[in-house]
This record gives sequence, structure tokens and C-alpha cells, in this order.
Amino acid sequence: MNEQKNIAIQLKKITKKYQLQHNKPTFFEQLLQRRNTEQFLALREVSLTIFSGQKIGILGSNGSGKTTLLKIIAGITSPTSGSVVTHGKIVSLINLEAGFHPDMTGLENVFLNGLIIGMSKNEIEKKTPSVIHFSGIKKFIDSPFYTYSQGMKLRLSFSLGIHSDPDILILDEVMAAGDAEFQSKAKKKIDQFFTQKKTILIVSHWLEFLETYCEKYLWVNKGKIQAFGGKEVLEQYRVFQNKKSNYLP
Amino acid sequence: MELISTKQQNYLDFLLAMTEKEIRVRYKMAFLGFLWILLNPLLQMLIMGFIFQFFVPVHVNNYFLFLFVGLLPWNFFSMTVNKSTPVIMNERSLIQKAKFPRESLVLSIVLSNLFHFLIAFALLLVALVVDKIFQGYSFSQLSWYFLRILTSFGLCIWLAFVTSGFSLLFSALNVRYRDVNFMVQAILPLWFYATPVVYTLNLLPEKFQLLFFFNPLTSIVQLFQYILLNQPFSLQIPFILNVLLGIFLAILGFTFFKKESIFFDDWV
Repeated sequence: MNEQKNIAIQLKKITKKYQLQHNKPTFFEQLLQRRNTEQFLALREVSLTIFSGQKIGILGSNGSGKTTLLKIIAGITSPTSGSVVTHGKIVSLINLEAGFHPDMTGLENVFLNGLIIGMSKNEIEKKTPSVIHFSGIKKFIDSPFYTYSQGMKLRLSFSLGIHSDPDILILDEVMAAGDAEFQSKAKKKIDQFFTQKKTILIVSHWLEFLETYCEKYLWVNKGKIQAFGGKEVLEQYRVFQNKKSNYLP
Repeated sequence: MELISTKQQNYLDFLLAMTEKEIRVRYKMAFLGFLWILLNPLLQMLIMGFIFQFFVPVHVNNYFLFLFVGLLPWNFFSMTVNKSTPVIMNERSLIQKAKFPRESLVLSIVLSNLFHFLIAFALLLVALVVDKIFQGYSFSQLSWYFLRILTSFGLCIWLAFVTSGFSLLFSALNVRYRDVNFMVQAILPLWFYATPVVYTLNLLPEKFQLLFFFNPLTSIVQLFQYILLNQPFSLQIPFILNVLLGIFLAILGFTFFKKESIFFDDWV
């Protein structure tokens, strides 16, 4: 059997509806009258099969449904209808800052977050030194998280995510984390990931970056899959974008 | 065959780590730390006991002890529900981070409060046994009393179960409707007086007594008073219905939370 034929992620007719909230919803309002609920369709009957080991670049303008799609794959939220099947451990670096408790120290945060993203206790203990080393915040690891700078937070979170040894890695604009030095380190680490047989989904508006790494491209537009395929999709997307920007005054 | 799967092991590790965090945070904040667990209900007992003994003609040997036995489970319940209700909103950043069993956020609060409750409860038991020895109980009488005490641990588990159910229910509701937290804060003090902690039900007119069995905590508090203080209660249909109501509401809480929790990310 060909390695490529193992299914990593399978989505069938995924639809995701969000209720638009104009105000904080309250129980009393619900009792008095049914609020006229406006709904927003973020994804419309999306079906998609991704095989294990594929590196996929995800394209689409803001609000096209990319993040919703990734959140559903990562299991952070569930679709309104449709089915999701995934095989293997998924780690998503969608929201790098999420999950860190400001009052706990960096080390305590690493432990708790490691558990949340599915690492075992032993694994965390074993990997903590290299997580800290990679993030480059050795001196501050015992300080409370609220004392960290933005860059330090992102570095620690990114470092933990890539040390967690996922089968499926989801990256969302993470190349923006840290300074130039950290970025080159991160890039090296991601290079490693790309040479391994891991499934990688990566969102970026930096098309040249995607071009060097990915073999397939998924273009999401208005909650639907516009195109899914090789380099030609990237070219189509470029043309589409240029057209759009030409309309601007 | 392993006893539990890696997934379950991971879930357990996470739950325990969260519980440990809860406990540690509490010790960091309170100056008296450990003492505070006991000091809080003791002070409550002293002040309430001092005042209510003039108004409530409860027929017990020691009104203060009677109060304390009711206050401990009540405090566990109200503190847990109070803290659990907004927890999903407070921990929204964890929700947005990854897929993990959402109920562990609530259950870690239940467990950490249960830890505190059991310490205070154990000290209460010691006090009760010492009291019995001073009263000149014989060895066989003491042995019987020990057996009674053993059954009270089953009751603690039952209390924790019902408390978990309510905590899960309110915390899931609070994600959808943000005023649930305020409602819970408003209702809890009233709920206290609707629970036979400072009085016994037989002091009330018969027709009102039935009303109290709509409160699922009534049977729990009554059982604590019965087991530890031999305070009589009537094992009749309302009592049994009350126990069933508690089970029903707890299961409702668990299922509602489970159903809602997969969509928490959309609302936080």
C-alpha cells in the first residue's frame, strides 16, 4: 500500500452556521421573546479528503472561512451538520496566545498546555528542557506569564506546539512569531517537519512561502472550496487577487 | 491489556493538574491558607448559632454542632456552583486552544472544593467521636457510630455528584445566556434558607413541608444530620421523590453540558 493513500482528514458535507450576536444574549430575553436570530454561514457543504503526509497550503481572503475550517478539523468547534473524521494527533497553532494562564509561571503553563494539546505527563517532563531552550526564555521560565512580552509568549507557545510531535500540524500565520533570529530557527524546525511524513495544513498570505513548502493548495472562498489541487490553484489565486486589487481606486 | 487507555490517562492527568492548580491558587491568595478552610464555616457557625438559637427552637443537644453539620455540605455546594458557573467564560482561552474534554474545567473545581470539604469533614468527625467518648459511650456504641460514619462517605460522593450536575448545568447555560451567572449569585443566598440547615423541617407547618422537597439538597442535608447527629427524618414518598429529583437534575446537567460543550468555542 502506498503511504499516500492513508486518509488523515476526511470532511463530508460540512456546514457551519454562526449566530450573529449583536449584544450579550440573556436568559430573560429568551424567555420574553424569541430573539430574531441572524445567522451567518461560514462554511457551506464542504467536503474534503486529505491523505497523510500531504503538505497543504490554504488560500483565501479574510472572512472566507479558512479559520473556521481549521477549527473544525482541530476539533475546537463542531460543524452544524456533516461529519469529520481525523486520524492521528492534531496540534493546531491557530491561536498562539490562547491557553496560557497569566498568573501561572511559564513552566506551569508549559505543563498545563502540554496536557491540553494531548501530550502525556512523561512526554512533557522529558521535552520541557528543549521546549525552554528552543523558546530562548530560560531566565524567565519561573516568572508569571503576565510579565512576558508579546514575543516571549508567542515563542514559548510555538516552541511547545512543535515539540508535541503531532501527526497533523495546523499552522495559521505563525511565521509572524518572534524576531528574525527566532523566525529562522522556527523555519528550520518547520523544514524538519516538512521532510517527515507529517500532514501539514498551513495558512499564510505570504504566497512565496507556501510555494516553497506545499505540494497542494486549497482555495477557500465564501465558505466553499473554490479549488483544490497543485500549483495551478496557486496561480489562479494570484490572478484572482491581482484582479481584486486592480479594482481598488 | 492496559487498564486505561492513553487517552483516558491523559484526561485524568489533565483533570488532576487543573485540580492541583485550583488548590494552589487558593493557598497563594489566602493569607491563612489551610486554616481558612475550617475558619470560614466555624465563624459562620458561631455567628449564626449565636443569633438563631434565640429564634429557632430546634430540639438538638448542641445547636452549634447541628448548624456545622449542615453548613459544611451547603458551603461545598454553594461555593462550587458559584465558582463553576462562569468558569467556561473565564477559561475561554483554553477553549480556543485545543480540543479537550470541556467538563474537566468544571470537575476540577468540584474536586478541589471536595478536597477542602473532606479535610473539614474529617476534622468534624474527629470532634464528634471525641464528643461521644466524653459522653461515656461504650465500646459497642462507639463501633456502631463508626459504622454510621462510614456510610457518610457514600453520602459525600452523592453530594459531589449532585453538585457536579448543577455546576455543569449552570456553567453550560452561562455560555449561552450571560445573565445566568447573576441569577445564580442572586439565588444561592435564598437557596440557603430554603434548605434545612439552620432549622429542621418539623418546625414548619405540615402543608409547607412538602414544598421543601422540591429542593434536591433537602434530602442530602437531612441525611447528614441523621447519620452524624441521629437527627430524625421521615423516610416517606416526598423524601424518595426528592432523591430521584436530585439524580434527575444531575443527569440533566451532565447531558446538557455534553451536548452544548462541542459548540462552546462559537459562544465564548
